[in-house]
Amino acid sequence: MKPLALLALAAISGAAIAAAPPGRPAPEFTLADLDGKPAKLEDYKGKTVVLEWNNFGCPFVQKHYRSGNMQALQKRYAKDVVWLTLNSTSRSSRDYQEPAALAKELATFHAQPARYLMDDPGTVGMAYGAKATPQMVIIDPSGKVAYNGAIDDTPSTHLEDVKTAKNYVVAALEEMKAGKPVSVASTTPYGCSIKYR
Amino acid sequence: MSRSVTAFLLALAALGAAQAHAASSLKTEHVEAELVTDDASAQPGKPTLVGLKLRMAAGWHTYWKNPGDSGLPTKIQWTLPEGWKAGAIQWPYPEPLPVGPLMNYGYDDEVVLLTELTPPAGAREATVPIKAHAEWLVCKDICVPEKGDLDIALPVSKAEPKKNPMFQAHIERAKNQLPTDVAGWTSEASMSAGALVVRLTAPEGAEPPAKAHFFPEREGLIEPAAPEKLTRAGRALTIEMKLADPPPADLKALRGVVVSDSGWKGSDGRKAMNVAASVGTAPLASVGGSTESRVGESVGGSTWAALAFAFIGGVLLNLMPCVFPVLGIKVMGFVRHAHGDERAMRMQGLVFCAGVVLSFLLLAGLMLLLRAGGLQLGWGFQLQSPVFVTLLAALFFVLALNLSGVFEWGAFAQSMTSNVSARGRYADALLSGVLATAVATPCTAPFMGAAVGFTISQDSLHSLAVFATIGLGMGVPVLLLSYFPAALKRLPRPGPWMETFKQVLAFPLYATVAWLTWVLGAQAGNDAVLALLAGLVLVALGAWMQGRAANASGIWRSTLAAIFVAVGILVAVPSSPNEREVPMAKDETWQDWSPEKVRTLVASGRPVFVDFTAAWCVTCQVNKRVALYNIQVAKAFAARDVVTLKADWTRQDPRITAALASLGRNAVPVYAFYVPGETEPRLLPEVLTPSLVLDEINRLPAARVASAAPH
Repeated sequence: MKPLALLALAAISGAAIAAAPPGRPAPEFTLADLDGKPAKLEDYKGKTVVLEWNNFGCPFVQKHYRSGNMQALQKRYAKDVVWLTLNSTSRSSRDYQEPAALAKELATFHAQPARYLMDDPGTVGMAYGAKATPQMVIIDPSGKVAYNGAIDDTPSTHLEDVKTAKNYVVAALEEMKAGKPVSVASTTPYGCSIKYR
Repeated sequence: MSRSVTAFLLALAALGAAQAHAASSLKTEHVEAELVTDDASAQPGKPTLVGLKLRMAAGWHTYWKNPGDSGLPTKIQWTLPEGWKAGAIQWPYPEPLPVGPLMNYGYDDEVVLLTELTPPAGAREATVPIKAHAEWLVCKDICVPEKGDLDIALPVSKAEPKKNPMFQAHIERAKNQLPTDVAGWTSEASMSAGALVVRLTAPEGAEPPAKAHFFPEREGLIEPAAPEKLTRAGRALTIEMKLADPPPADLKALRGVVVSDSGWKGSDGRKAMNVAASVGTAPLASVGGSTESRVGESVGGSTWAALAFAFIGGVLLNLMPCVFPVLGIKVMGFVRHAHGDERAMRMQGLVFCAGVVLSFLLLAGLMLLLRAGGLQLGWGFQLQSPVFVTLLAALFFVLALNLSGVFEWGAFAQSMTSNVSARGRYADALLSGVLATAVATPCTAPFMGAAVGFTISQDSLHSLAVFATIGLGMGVPVLLLSYFPAALKRLPRPGPWMETFKQVLAFPLYATVAWLTWVLGAQAGNDAVLALLAGLVLVALGAWMQGRAANASGIWRSTLAAIFVAVGILVAVPSSPNEREVPMAKDETWQDWSPEKVRTLVASGRPVFVDFTAAWCVTCQVNKRVALYNIQVAKAFAARDVVTLKADWTRQDPRITAALASLGRNAVPVYAFYVPGETEPRLLPEVLTPSLVLDEINRLPAARVASAAPH
C-alpha cells in the first residue's frame, strides 16, 4: 500500500531528478525482481549493498558485460555485498525488455547479481540521481550512501579499456573492507542516459 | 590457381581496401561523416582548418565536449605527414537536448568540428594524405557508438591558398558557431548553497541580452536539467545554475560558453561567447566589492520596474503605524488652512515632499557611503544602533507628550498647530517631512524589500534614484491634498474635535515608544531599558515644565526644562552600546541560524525554514505571532521534519547581510524555505498567513516523504 502511495506522489510531483550524494541516507525502496517477488532495501540493513543501473541495450553496459568485467565484479564480491542490479528503463522506451528477456540476457552473460530489480517507472533511479547506465551506488551497512557515480574512470565503449581503467567500485569496496573512508566517493557517471520516458 | 594470379587478387583486394580508406566521406547507420577543408591548399608553416562534418539522421544527436548528463564527446585522431601538427577540436556551441528528466549538450541535424592543422615550415610542395579516425556516440532513444576512418588529399603550396568553394557554406557556418572572446565583457562566478552563479557584465553603455544559456565546460559540475535562472539588472546578467550534489571540491575557475540568439555587444553577431571566471564561495556580493545582482522575483529587474515598485512602496508607507500620526498632524495643519491661502498651501505640500525626498536621499547617501567603507549594511541599519533607537524613542516620546497637550512648541515650530508666518510654516513642513522619513525607516512595507534589494546591485546614481522615488511616493498623498484642498473641505470645519483627534494620535506614538524600548532591551539589555525609562521620566519632567512656562514669561523655566530634557537624553543613551552584548531570548523550536547549518542540514536531506527577522521589524513580529508561531504551523513543521532557524538581524551581522543579498534582498522580513533537491530556496511573501505557510509546507516534494518513511 505504502509504496503505491509513494509512487503516486512521485508521479504527481513531476519527474525531477533528485540526488543521493555520499553520506546521505540511501532512499528506501521496494521493487519487484524478475520473478515478481518484492525486494526491500531495508531487508539488507547491516550489509553493504551495491546498486548497478543496467540496460543491456546500452553499448556502455555491453562493454562491461561483453568483456566479462561486470560479472567478475559480481562474483568477486558475492560473499561481501548484496549486489542489486536495477533497470529503470521506461516501458515506453525502445530499450525496455520484459523480465523474461532480461533473465535470458543474464543467463547468456553468466551474470550473477543477487537480485535483478524492475524499476520501470524510474522512481528509484530518480531518487538516487541515476543518470546513466552503468551507474553504480554503494550503500554502507548503516544505510548511508558510500559511493555514487561511474563504474570506472574511462568513459568509452571499447571492451579493452576495462583492463586499464581505474575501477572506482573496486577501490571503494576495498577501502570499506579495510575500514577506511572511501577516498573517491563521488564521480560523474558516464554512459547512455537512463531512458526514463 | 597460380602464384601470380593469387598475388594479383591480393593486390586487387589491397587496392579495394585502400580505396575504401581513401574516402573523404562515409555513411554509418545513423550518421553521414565527411572531412571538409577550408582552403584548397595548405601553406608551409601556416595553419589551415579541416573539419569533420557529421550529419545525423533525424532525431539523432552527437555530443559537445561536455555531454551533459550522459553521452560521450566525439573524438578525432589524426594521422598526418611527418612534422604536421593538429590542434584541439574547436567545438561549435551546443544545444540543450532534453532526454526525459535528463539533459544532454550536443548537436542534432549537422555539426562541423573544426581542427587547425599546421604543416611544418619546410614542407615540400606536394599533395599529402590527411587521415582521421573519428569515434562518436550517436543517440536518440538508444545510443550507438560509431566510428569511421576518413582520408583526404591536401595539396601543399607556397602560393596564397584559395578557399575551397565546395565546403565554404559548412565551414562558415561552423566558424560562426564557435564561441568567441568578446572585449569589454567581464564575468565572475560564485559557488554557494547548492547554486553556481555566473554574472556577466556588459561594457559601458550596453545591455545584456534577455535570454541566454550557459554551458559549463566541465562535466558533472551542474545539474544540466535544472532550469537556469536569469536575472538582468542594469548591465549585469546573472545566470544561476543548480550545482551537482556533491559539488566539485576543486573548482577554481569556471569555463564555459554562454549563448544568446541576440548575440553579445561587440561579438559581431556571433551568438556564443567564451566565459572564464574565477569562482568564489561567498555570494557574489563580496566579490569585487559590488553586490549580488539578483533581484527578488517580484521586481522585474529593470530600473523602471524598480522605480515603480519604489513609488508604490513609498505611498504605502503612509499607512504604517509609525508614520500615520505624523501624516495626521500634517493633514490637520491643512484642515486649518484649507479655507485660507491656497498658494501657500501648495508651497507647503511641495516643501513637505521635498523634505521627505531629501531625507531619503540623505539616509541612502549615508548608507552608500558607509557601505563603500566596507560596512555590511542594509535598509533599517539605523535601528541596529542602540543610540539611534534611544534617540528615536526620546523623539517619539516628546512628540507624543506634545500631542497629549503636556506642552506646546516654542515659536519655532508652532505652526504645526497654529497659524504663524509663512516662513515658519515652511520650516515646519520641511521638518515634518524629515520626521516622517525618520520614523518610516523601520517600516518596510511590502514591495520595499525587493525595491531596496535592487539598489544594492546598482551604481550609486540608480540607488539614489530609487530612494528618491520612495520618498516621492511617500510625499505624494500630502502633495495631492495640498493641490486639491476640495477634498479637505469635506472634513468638518476646524474646531474642538481637532484637539481630541490630536490627543488620540498621541497613543500610536506612545506605543511606538514602548516597542522601541523593547527593541533596545533586545539589543542592549535590561540596564539600557532602565536608563532609557529614567531618561524619559526626566524628559517628561522637562516637557511639563515647558508647558507650565508657556504661560509665564520666566525664561529660566524654559532653560531648566531644556536642561532636564538634555540630562534625560544623556541618561537614556547607553554608554558603550556595541560592547553590551546580551544573549537574546531563545525559542526552543527555533535554532540560531548560520549559513553552514543551512548547508549541512539541506545536504543531509532535511528541509530548512529560515526566518530572517529583527526585533525592530514590526512586520516580522506580526508574522511571527500570526503565522510562524501558530500551533498548526508549528505542528506541520514538526510533522514534516522541517528544521526552523532564526536569523536575527536586530544587531548588525555581516553574514546575515550577505545571505540576504544572495537572496536579492536587503531588508527583513525574508522567509526562505530550503527544500532538499531544489537549488533555490523558496521565498515566501513578506506578509504571512498560517494557511500560506501550511501550503508551502505541504508542497514539500514526494521524495522527501519517501525518505521520511520508516526504514
